Amino acid sequence: MVNFTVEEIRGLMDNPKNIRNMSVIAHVDHGKSTLTDSLVQRAGIISSAKAGEARFTDTRPDEQERGVTIKSTAISLFAQLLDEEDLKDIPVPTEKNEFLINLIDSPGHVDFSSEVTAALRVTDGALVVVDTVEGVCVQTETVLRQALGERIKPVVVINKVDRALLELQVSKEDLYQNFSRVIESVNVVISTYFDKTLGDVQVYPDKGTIAFGSGLHGWAFTVRQFASKYAKKFGVDKNKMMERLWGDNYFNPKTKKWTKNGDYEGQQLERAFCQFILDPIFRIFNAVMNFKKDEIPKLCEKLEIKLAGDEKDLEGKQLLKVIMKKFLPAADALLEMMVLHLPSPVTAQKYRMETLYEGPPDDEAAIAIRDCDPKGTLMLYVSKMVPTSDKGRFYAFGRVFAGTVRSGLKVRIQGPNYTPGKKEDLFVKSIQRTILMMGRYTEPIEDVPAGNILGLVGIDQFLLKSGTLTTSETAHNMKVMKFSVSPVVQRSVEVKNANDLPKLVEGLKRLSKSDPCVLTYITESGEHVVAGAGELHLEICLKDLEEDHAGVPLRISDPVVQYRESVAAESRMTALSKSPNKHNRLYVIAAPLSEEVSKDIESGKIGPRDDFKARARILADEHGWDVTDARKIWCFGPDTSGANVLVDQTKAVQYLNEIKDSVVSGFQWATKEGPVAEEPMRSVRFNIMDVTLHADAIHRGGGQIIPTARRVLYAATLLADPSLLEPVFLVEIQVPENAMGGIYSVLTRRRGHVFEEVQRPGTPLFNIKAYLPVNESFGFNADLRSNTSGQAFPQMVFDHWQLLPGGSPLDKTTMPGKIVETMRKRKGIKPDVPGYENYYDKL
Amino acid sequence: MLYLIGLGLADHRDISVKGLEIVKKAERVYLEAYTAVLLVDKEQLEAYYGREVIIADREMVESSSDEILADADKVDVAFLVVGDPFSATTHTDFVLRARQNDPPIPTRVLPNASILTGIGCTGLSLYNFGQTVSMVFFTENWKPSSYYDRVKENVGLGLHTLVLVDIKVKEPNLEAMARGRIRYEPPRYMTVAQCAAQMIETEEERGEGVCGREALAVGVARVGAEDQLIRAGTLEELAEVDMGKPLHSLVLVGKRMHEMERDFIRDFAVNKETFDRVWARDYEGKA
Repeated sequence: MVNFTVEEIRGLMDNPKNIRNMSVIAHVDHGKSTLTDSLVQRAGIISSAKAGEARFTDTRPDEQERGVTIKSTAISLFAQLLDEEDLKDIPVPTEKNEFLINLIDSPGHVDFSSEVTAALRVTDGALVVVDTVEGVCVQTETVLRQALGERIKPVVVINKVDRALLELQVSKEDLYQNFSRVIESVNVVISTYFDKTLGDVQVYPDKGTIAFGSGLHGWAFTVRQFASKYAKKFGVDKNKMMERLWGDNYFNPKTKKWTKNGDYEGQQLERAFCQFILDPIFRIFNAVMNFKKDEIPKLCEKLEIKLAGDEKDLEGKQLLKVIMKKFLPAADALLEMMVLHLPSPVTAQKYRMETLYEGPPDDEAAIAIRDCDPKGTLMLYVSKMVPTSDKGRFYAFGRVFAGTVRSGLKVRIQGPNYTPGKKEDLFVKSIQRTILMMGRYTEPIEDVPAGNILGLVGIDQFLLKSGTLTTSETAHNMKVMKFSVSPVVQRSVEVKNANDLPKLVEGLKRLSKSDPCVLTYITESGEHVVAGAGELHLEICLKDLEEDHAGVPLRISDPVVQYRESVAAESRMTALSKSPNKHNRLYVIAAPLSEEVSKDIESGKIGPRDDFKARARILADEHGWDVTDARKIWCFGPDTSGANVLVDQTKAVQYLNEIKDSVVSGFQWATKEGPVAEEPMRSVRFNIMDVTLHADAIHRGGGQIIPTARRVLYAATLLADPSLLEPVFLVEIQVPENAMGGIYSVLTRRRGHVFEEVQRPGTPLFNIKAYLPVNESFGFNADLRSNTSGQAFPQMVFDHWQLLPGGSPLDKTTMPGKIVETMRKRKGIKPDVPGYENYYDKL
Repeated sequence: MLYLIGLGLADHRDISVKGLEIVKKAERVYLEAYTAVLLVDKEQLEAYYGREVIIADREMVESSSDEILADADKVDVAFLVVGDPFSATTHTDFVLRARQNDPPIPTRVLPNASILTGIGCTGLSLYNFGQTVSMVFFTENWKPSSYYDRVKENVGLGLHTLVLVDIKVKEPNLEAMARGRIRYEPPRYMTVAQCAAQMIETEEERGEGVCGREALAVGVARVGAEDQLIRAGTLEELAEVDMGKPLHSLVLVGKRMHEMERDFIRDFAVNKETFDRVWARDYEGKA
């Protein structure tokens, strides 16, 4: 532990070139938190009696109990390169050899990946942790994709190498092959999401962007470290050495020559990587684990490892741990890798600016972000809210992208719905306090300049979950984060004791603030609903709600799935609705929107804030839309960004613009609660075919047009062969061969199907990927466990929407019809779906 | 029989004698209370007519007209409209529905004074008026300016424009409506000052010289009532003037104005000096 005062840390902050903001991301159980621990023990900045305790970044009691990270946590580390000379290897000229590393440990379980999204936003680099044995898993891929989408540069650590050595007893060459397979699969993911501006960010051991190690045992190495050692010994250039220590490079001890050919006079040579890097490690393992007492001191001496008195008496794994930790300290390898290969805020913000900022790339705010200018206009993004010890209050957690923020500074707090020049979703308030956040500790700090991560006090009342803070009156918002998971599972809650209702309402508000992805709302029938990404996520949220945010006993319903309403065909005739005063008429046709377009809208590739010409280009070039139509998209919905569109196809209608807002409001309303079961709509394109209007604005105000727009959209939907979409999970299961039968039977019973089945090379483990409707996923884990004698571990993440099979939702005898009826009853609306005649007016 | 009876402009006593007779003997009497309001309340009306009067709000007339029309083919139903039944209202649809009823309901209309004629009290000749327009309450992002085009046509011909102003007696809150709930806003009535200010706003946006700050206009309030008020001046002056209780209207003066008309409205001028100056500069002999 390095002991730093706040002033000293503050000093480091002024040197953005020497800052690295990074997140640790991985699949669940690949060992992020343990790995992070080894860094904290060595380089953590704030000293404390508690620090060094296992799972430093798991701050909640339930995280410690479950051994799963739920919330992401930031800590700061201090690093120095062992060799001053190495400063030259940093791509950007850097003078001082002292680095501030802000590291965010984020959850690996898919249900919490919204936390990862929030972490990625405030960092520039990512340490991707991959398990040697399990390799690249579904969540590794998801988070890596997210990271690349945010233009975040990855470095990789291949973790749990000790397992490969101790449990699987692999040979050196096998281990090498294993490593290269894992690296290859990581690089496949990286190159799939290639971004021109970010450049090639594939990882290579011989470039030093990959480390190998064991978080549990506290050791790790990079090829670069060994290269510097051997470079001195052999007297060759370090970079040349690095290249030789990976891939098909061999050193022939007889000829004392390097060769690319592993075959010498009929004998197989040992690969340089195995010979020079793995060999010492294997020897240590061999000597210690086989209790070759006499060999150990010799080895130690050779490798310049000094054991303390009492350490010499240790045996087996304990001794192994001590020796390896001294031989290849994990912190050295990882810190070196981060410092050398991850970008500083100055470097990163240059290319990240255009993906971070909504406004024009040449305005004051954009330029300040691009230059990471501490003297520029303040641009600060709050990515999430962290509960404080003071119940019901939150720290706003975020990063300063430009300018300097300090306690007492008056800032504009712009929520996600803020548009420049308007007053909506905008507050002008002073920041009460700025603080440093380190694991479970906070320290007040006077001011924080651009490029740093911080916490703010006194902002929580003005922002729901995230937002932009600025001092410029013209600044646009920082881009809103897109989450890879969506809240598809919901449960309703009610208080056991009626007097507690106000506490529940307040608790729900707090819950929704504390989690980026949770959704809470009240239905028409007065039900309080909490929606989350999966069963586990929801379980944790509800536990928090009951024990913490509300603090009252709750009754919780069974989980329910959110469906989407869609259409399967074009409306069989043009729907017509008249306004209440009958002087305004709207004619609309509904049609299915293609799945690709819907996905592009949901992923943010096509959205309401795009330039309409650019958007039309994408729609025309990639999705075959008519350009004229594509330019006349009035809006998206629900919530102005959903995957339904309203297209103006009218010809020369006078005053149409004056009712546009009202029609859009009606569209938002209708797409939020569809006609079939008041579920949100998805994948519907509404074409406004014609409009007749009263000549005088007074007779075509919102009161006349909004309900009419909703009615006509309902009629058009009901005329277009309405259907229900259900959410589907992608399930990834790791299982030994003998338990596979159980998986298939459970999946089949639950309408799931397997689409990929791969054996992990060198292991008896199979990796199975399947689709499983969310509706059938409740209790899936337990079911699977009992059918595979506890050998299968599933990971489920929302993947796509699929048509609910079994017939029309309007027909009560079909499965969709029954689901609709149950849903309508639950919502307290009449069980029969109203016919289109209820919304249709005859000419 | 369905009787549509105009009530005139000011109070309960403006109803015609014939209308009053029908009201007294009709089975049911409805008072339409959203396109315009009387300056007296329902109780006074009931006391004077000596019978119960049912208030028909917008929803009732537009969405549940069956209730009003029930049995109207057999018994007499009176539908009272402030002003004149067909002037500046949307009741044609109501009569259409009566006609399409099975069996058809016979209707009779009793006209009365309307602001369209009552505006003659300003001394401006009704022969010189062009198209009537109405002015709605602007909101932050809804500022319909289609009225401007029609005012422009009138101005081009040198005609006066009668501008009727928005009243919101029982309007649903639009934000709540878009969330699927009906919540009514408190009643609001536009004033001459607000109307003038909005016209200036549109002019500044469109800039076609139709209703700028120095255009002459006449504002009226409570036409036909004892405390009727008329003020003339530039739009800028009228935007500052307080005309008191509703209902208000405004006339944008056309350049073809006769000298008699000018003399008449000059007496109402807020500031005679500016009136004369603007008249001489922009209006006299310009038509």
